[in-house]
Amino acid sequence: MEYIHVLIADLSQLARMGLIGLLNQMKYPFHIREVSSPEKLTGLITHDLNGLLIISNSFIRKCTPGLIQNLQHRLNDTILILIRDSDHTPENDFDFAETIDLQDHDKTIIRKLEKQLSFLSRQKPLNDSPEGISDREKDVLRLVAIGLTNKEIAEKLFISSHTVITHRKNLTAKLGIKTIAGLTMYALINHLIIPEEIY
Amino acid sequence: MAEVIHLNYHLLPIISRFGIHLGFGEKTIEQLCIEYDIDIHFLIVILNSYHDKNYFPRKHLQGFPLKLIIEYLRKSHEYYLQIKIPRIDQLLQQLSAHNEELSGDSLQLIDHFFREYKYELSEHIRREEEKVYPYIFTVEEAYQSGKPSDALVRRIREYSIDDYESEHDNVEDKLYDLQNIIIKYLPLPLDMNFCHTILMELFRLESDLNDHARIEDKVLVPKVRYMEKWINEHFTR
Repeated sequence: MEYIHVLIADLSQLARMGLIGLLNQMKYPFHIREVSSPEKLTGLITHDLNGLLIISNSFIRKCTPGLIQNLQHRLNDTILILIRDSDHTPENDFDFAETIDLQDHDKTIIRKLEKQLSFLSRQKPLNDSPEGISDREKDVLRLVAIGLTNKEIAEKLFISSHTVITHRKNLTAKLGIKTIAGLTMYALINHLIIPEEIY
Repeated sequence: MAEVIHLNYHLLPIISRFGIHLGFGEKTIEQLCIEYDIDIHFLIVILNSYHDKNYFPRKHLQGFPLKLIIEYLRKSHEYYLQIKIPRIDQLLQQLSAHNEELSGDSLQLIDHFFREYKYELSEHIRREEEKVYPYIFTVEEAYQSGKPSDALVRRIREYSIDDYESEHDNVEDKLYDLQNIIIKYLPLPLDMNFCHTILMELFRLESDLNDHARIEDKVLVPKVRYMEKWINEHFTR
């Protein structure tokens, strides 16, 4: 199963909690993380944040120009959603797909989010990783990273152990990572898995 | 000696492994060897083989007593565990401290990974010092006296130096992965200069470990293998 990563960047704890509550009502395999201040944001964003970044006006106002520039470079695969909580207009900085108003009804917010999520699944390219790993290799990588053996992976994906080994060889060649611990770290850094999944 | 260090400062940890301290003035290698009671031929061969990757006088090295070679390997173990690893550890801690707010969970992952690496390396070293080296000394003693015990003869047949050698763990691979993850996959923006410093340390460690492994694989193991073979041929009963 592939997780949909959601990062909520808002200064207000109430707003974050409210959004998390709404997201949990929706039946999606979300992996939700929240961040309360700009300094903590950068480390959470890698080149592969494949999902939603929900960020508020007042949060953006607190970001340094350097941070904003950095974000702009790295949000190609991310759907940006603005929470309008002040008059500060950061629209020039980012390309927002949707805007949520603080006054929005909960059903409206869910509808807006669902619309974006439908885009997400449709636009998901097959080969979106910069290292050029295929979807199948990604499946194998995910399972290796959480600690399954070749045999278990083969059974899970309905392929032969031999094929699993081939995929693993290709992964090592493409990523330049040889050990299982290294692959796990790669998968975690790129949010292909979440820590709770690891055996 | 000062000239040697000016020529290649990477040899500094090597001379310190032989117990030579800085402040040696104009003393030559020979004078220092006498002063510190070091086998000059051995020191020169080791210095040269660390200095020039293409220079590796296997036969010459194999001519040295095992005790000398192992003593040197032990000293380099000590250097890894007591100097090099703590130094990298400290740098990683500092990196985390500097970037506490910036880094999110990636640095924690690196930290955890390095801890695992550290554990594996020290286990590897412990196994060599507690099991492999004493075994080698037993073999050497039996070879020299020409009177191996029955137990040793049996043991060689069941578990020889080649088995030790083939038990290769993935310590080297882990170090390589760590370098690659820092180079390729760490989310920005960490303190770049700091990352460079850590990488340099990791590369230095890797290169030192490679030189170390080369002595084990090309000098130590063949020497022991030869003695095992001799014992095997003469004492199979």
